[in-house]
Amino acid sequence: MFRTDEIIKAAKLPPEGVAMSRHIDYIYFIPILFVTIIGTFHMHTALLCGDWDFWLDWKDRQWWPIVTPITTITFCAALQYYNWVNYRQPFGATLTILALATGKWIAVYTSWWWWSNYPPNFVMPATLLPSALVLDFTLLLTRNWTLTAVIGAWMYAILFYPSNWPIFAYSHTPLVVDGTLLSWADYMGFMYVRTGTPEYIRMIEVGSLRTFGGHSTMISSFFAAFASSLMYILWWQFGKFFCTSYFYFTDERKRTTKVYDVFAYATLAHADKAKLSGGKA
Amino acid sequence: MNVKHAFKLWVLGFCGVATVAFVPTFDATPALAHGERSQEPFLRMRTVNWYDTEWVGKSTAVNDITYLKGKFHLSEDWPRAVVKPHRTFVNVGSPSSVFVRLSTKVGGVPMFVSGPMEIGRDYEYEITLKARLPGHHHIHPMFSVKEAGPIAGPGGWMDITGRYADFRNPIKTLTGETFDSETEGGMTGIMWHIFWASVGLFWVGWFMVRPMYLIRARVLAAYGDELLLDPVDRKLAIGLLVFTVAVVTIGYLAAEAKHPITVPLQAGEAKVKPLPIKPNPLVVEVTHAEYDVPGRALRMTVHATNNGTEPVSIGEFTTAGIRFTNKVGAARLDPNYPQELVATAGLTLDNEAPIQPGQTVDIHIESKDVLWEVQRLVDILHDPDQRFAGLLMSWTESGERLINPVWAPVLPVFTRLGA
Repeated sequence: MFRTDEIIKAAKLPPEGVAMSRHIDYIYFIPILFVTIIGTFHMHTALLCGDWDFWLDWKDRQWWPIVTPITTITFCAALQYYNWVNYRQPFGATLTILALATGKWIAVYTSWWWWSNYPPNFVMPATLLPSALVLDFTLLLTRNWTLTAVIGAWMYAILFYPSNWPIFAYSHTPLVVDGTLLSWADYMGFMYVRTGTPEYIRMIEVGSLRTFGGHSTMISSFFAAFASSLMYILWWQFGKFFCTSYFYFTDERKRTTKVYDVFAYATLAHADKAKLSGGKA
Repeated sequence: MNVKHAFKLWVLGFCGVATVAFVPTFDATPALAHGERSQEPFLRMRTVNWYDTEWVGKSTAVNDITYLKGKFHLSEDWPRAVVKPHRTFVNVGSPSSVFVRLSTKVGGVPMFVSGPMEIGRDYEYEITLKARLPGHHHIHPMFSVKEAGPIAGPGGWMDITGRYADFRNPIKTLTGETFDSETEGGMTGIMWHIFWASVGLFWVGWFMVRPMYLIRARVLAAYGDELLLDPVDRKLAIGLLVFTVAVVTIGYLAAEAKHPITVPLQAGEAKVKPLPIKPNPLVVEVTHAEYDVPGRALRMTVHATNNGTEPVSIGEFTTAGIRFTNKVGAARLDPNYPQELVATAGLTLDNEAPIQPGQTVDIHIESKDVLWEVQRLVDILHDPDQRFAGLLMSWTESGERLINPVWAPVLPVFTRLGA
């Protein structure tokens, strides 16, 4: 079904090299790459869109669908660059969001439930996996990061609200307490005491986007799509900046060349390596 | 010492450090207070002056209802460094949500969201609490001011007995359903997360079963991507793209059908009313105030005039939730008020005689106790604005309580007088 044999043959590695490469795949992929993304990306989202993702009573129609996609497409773009440009692997965004989800669920049960005693339904995270999957599909199908920034990033943001509505629709059920109309989410936020998070910290439909005919969510999602597109381009370039490796090679006529093909280094003869100009790479 | 030996030592040392680092994780002593003493004195003394605080029901069983109630005065001497209370929220300071808060009323008006309050006015609050987590908990009323932060009131101990497993909190919605706040929506959310995680794992796993990194990188560098972009991957991507969009659409429409009646999050502004201003026949003005550092005493000279028809006796000075009383005030103390916040004989007057109707007197009042140190209010001397504020309470002969807000600059006395 796959072209695995042809690819292995083209790699021109001895059998033991092929076996070793698979060990490296597993050691690198799960304990190093995945765990690193959990740590870094989970921190990134906690700082930039944390409250929107932690609390049920922050998930409004306006800011939640703006802030979350814009701040999360970042690592997706950078990891897509790394996986696609270096290996043509189209799972950078999905891998990133899977790692984020893992971190979030660890936090739900350790930080929020075990340590702080908030019930999981009150700190239910949003899902970004449908958005991430579509971003990866777009990159694979278009093979073009610019088109992915235009089509995939827009889909990433647009899909966010509808893919989370099945999880959170119930929390907008109305109820009346002491003669006051509240949504269930509002009352949950009120009931579960947060000493350091008073009610006014919430940003609930604050701003002028709501004046567009009252379609807060639609307008917010389109704005988020536009901003996500720009954010994707920026973070793709971050990925490029941090993934670019090179070395300097000085030939026998003392000409120094900047070489981007790092595999060329591996294929250099020992004597040639010795000729590399020291300290510049 | 060879390299192997050094490595072994390093591993042992690392294990030792890790063990020490993890010990607090498994043997953490619960916090018994919420850092209220760490808040600057100007914040605690000159913003909210709490009084009549009651922790109703010192011991409550899980699922039972209790109350935290009282009054507060927003000081006229509100510090310049603190944003004015244009948007405020009456909160509870507790170690997590040991109680669920069913309702807050300020002046009888529900306060589910934030709202403005007026400096110089008094407010009465009542917070309805339902016991949730068993334990011995330190509970504070709390006043949060937007852009200024939370201001902790006095803390009192409340016990919750029973088992958390018995806690239930069913609430009826406007659509006639009954939701339990501990569980509602939890399983639905978890199931959706599991579903999408499964799709995501399948997508990544599809590529994990084949060589992932080193081999592909070599092929890409040598020949480009023609060989790496397998047509079967494109077919799967197209199929999964359609599947994903279809599931999102169907899920959205199904949720709309299941929950046809919804409202946006409600975030208006609470319009709470202060207590009516009571006529106060006693007029008090602080003409001089000093803090005696070695003597742990705040001394003030007040110029008081009794415009009423009954003699008035000063009995209490309260600030930052701590209370200094003389015999007059001590006789009226709520016995349930936390003893660690009261200096029962901490208030002395140079003239204990009641102020007679029509009389104007200058009285030297001293509130003296180690509480100034314990509660870290002596740090007022390190504030950029060395002032104090509080409430002076006095009683008429017929028992009516008169409350006079007082405030003034404080001069420090660093050496014992006469020394």
